[in-house]
Amino acid sequence: MASLIAPPSLLPKQSPPGIGTRIRNTLPERFAPYVYIAPFFLIFAVFGLIPLLFTFVVSLFDWNPIGQQTFIGFDNFTRLAADPRFWNAMLNTFAIFIISTVPQLLIALGLAHLLNHVRLRFATGFRMAMLVPYITSVAATTIVFAQLFDRDYGLFNYLIGFFGGDHIDFINDKVGSWFLVALMVVWRWTGYTTLLYLAALQAIPRDVYEAAAVDGAGGWKQFVFITIPSLRPIIIFTIVTSTIGGLQVFTEPLLVSPATGLTCGAARQCQTLTLFLYEQGFGQFEFGYGSAIGVALFVIVVLVALLNFFLSTRTRGGR
Amino acid sequence: MKFRLAAAATVAVMVGALVTGCSGSGASDDKTFQFWSFTGINQKSDVAKYTEAHPDITVKLTEVGSTQETAQALTAALAGGKVPDLVLIQGDDLPNFVANPDNFVDLSTLGADDIADDYLPWVWDQAVAQNDAVIGVPTDVGGMSMAYRADLFEAAGLPSEPDEVAALWPTWDDFIAVGQQYVAATGKPFLDNAGTSVFFQTVNQVSEKYYSSDGELVYDTNPQVKEAFDISIKAIEAGISANVPAFSTGWSTGKTNGAFAAMAAPSWMLKNIKTDAPDTSGQWRVTTVPGVAGNWGGSYLAIPKRAANPEAAWAYIKEMQSPEAQLKNFTDTGALPTTVSAYESDAIAAYTDPFFGDSKIGVVLGKSVQEFKPFFNGPATATIGSALINTVTDVEAGNTPPDKAWDVAMKAVKDALGG
Repeated sequence: MASLIAPPSLLPKQSPPGIGTRIRNTLPERFAPYVYIAPFFLIFAVFGLIPLLFTFVVSLFDWNPIGQQTFIGFDNFTRLAADPRFWNAMLNTFAIFIISTVPQLLIALGLAHLLNHVRLRFATGFRMAMLVPYITSVAATTIVFAQLFDRDYGLFNYLIGFFGGDHIDFINDKVGSWFLVALMVVWRWTGYTTLLYLAALQAIPRDVYEAAAVDGAGGWKQFVFITIPSLRPIIIFTIVTSTIGGLQVFTEPLLVSPATGLTCGAARQCQTLTLFLYEQGFGQFEFGYGSAIGVALFVIVVLVALLNFFLSTRTRGGR
Repeated sequence: MKFRLAAAATVAVMVGALVTGCSGSGASDDKTFQFWSFTGINQKSDVAKYTEAHPDITVKLTEVGSTQETAQALTAALAGGKVPDLVLIQGDDLPNFVANPDNFVDLSTLGADDIADDYLPWVWDQAVAQNDAVIGVPTDVGGMSMAYRADLFEAAGLPSEPDEVAALWPTWDDFIAVGQQYVAATGKPFLDNAGTSVFFQTVNQVSEKYYSSDGELVYDTNPQVKEAFDISIKAIEAGISANVPAFSTGWSTGKTNGAFAAMAAPSWMLKNIKTDAPDTSGQWRVTTVPGVAGNWGGSYLAIPKRAANPEAAWAYIKEMQSPEAQLKNFTDTGALPTTVSAYESDAIAAYTDPFFGDSKIGVVLGKSVQEFKPFFNGPATATIGSALINTVTDVEAGNTPPDKAWDVAMKAVKDALGG
């Protein structure tokens, strides 16, 4: 790096390798950085890498945690491919992911634009308020939402009934339960995404907008031609993070219908892949099958992340 | 090279610390033992009684969570963590542990055979493994009753006295007919739900359930299971169910506001009605379920194999689950005893509660336990049961057509059992 900045003549003269007193210090110095970063990698190995690799091993077994462990090769995976409960969980996961992520990102974009308004009073207060759903315990949020949308006594259905409509049984209806879970995800993550967008918005120089105004561009044109392009990196970032998060939605479907245990509804209406994994692994104690679901989920996340990467590099390349 | 050695040493120390952190047990003197229970069953009072009688003993009681969470924590501990000396296991979770008896102390090595005759044989046998190891000692059973609202029955023009009501429904078909009468008179649903209040009851009034007596899976061919299932579907088609699942939000509210007039209630659930609906004191009554017999729940005390202090745990079991102690516990808390002598004494028959209009709760529950016919439960009993009841619930919700219900249920069970 130094050679790029300083002219070569100013660099200190180096002794030829193999001669001089510095050589004794070189070895520890070369290893010192690795020692400094070692704690992270050791802890990652113990709590991240080894469990990850071990999951692959367990997925090849019929693994009873308190009984027999039999090697069965890829039987868990062939069973998984033929298991309608797995494909149902896959459908639920992607449906909930789409109907939660798309509105979430759009609402966040709009809110960030509003919060960035020059003449907004109490701006800090509004911005702080955005984070309240995010710092609220997911369990508390889920229990409150489940009560609000309860079929018989929920506030929402009370209002529907008050205006003469029929009560909606959210949790027993497939699309209704998707909507309910997605709504909780939107509620929790929109504020956080808004703040990310807001930070990026504030990095856009004001004079760009002023120049556009002088050229006669109105608010909407400024939004489309300045704001959105400037936000492209952060939008891609939020799409990637919400993809990873969206494929791992767990607490909301776990707690929204406690009466039906780990299936999120009697007919697994809103059971996501992670909840299906938990049901098999820790409800039925089929560790082998649960691990196979974990491996499948890993592959799915990698595929979707690759797709994301491909799309985002393509859009950047197109410019 | 030196660095590598140092790194290797660091890793070794860290791993060593982790391993000992997991397996190192605390105080291992013979006056202290660890006890895991689930919440809502008040083992605290039992422990308090015991330590009062034995001031030199320390019982470290942990209420892990719900019955299922306790079983999960126990499984994780047995698989390679720190195990308690004594653990309470709910009846539904028991078969999975009985199928893997090597994880537990065979209580006959501590003298369980000497006390086996004190207990109801069918309750005791649930905790005996295929290799004849005794895994647990039963603490209570969940004898069945039908709880109903006398005020709502009267308003519908039905008899309201427990004996008269029991006479209305000797069979489940009669029960459904009474429900239809109620619905016709009031326009309101009769029963909380068909899953727990019908299917959970009918499927336990059989001589063989999901397994044959020699342990073969027969859930799909056993006509008794099909019949039990069909009765619950019939109850749904008759329109008597409020479609309020047990333990849901609406269920607690419904007990107070009359959203349903009847619900099947095992002994421990009667307490649940009192706490959920204190305003309805004196309006509920308790009578026999159609077919009289029933059991839902009940628990066992077991000692894990790697327990640090099995003798202290066994001394606790022996004293606190003796026939006298169980009978005392019944009059204090209403937990139904598992001992033979309790059902021969008058104490159970005499049990009433003003909250339930002084219905003869003890007689009803006692009869349901004595009439109960045992059947074989295997490791998949709970899995099959939840697949079937989930189908019943889904029919109730209007998602599965009643005429397809049995096929859907069989497919759900096959998927759950792995094809």
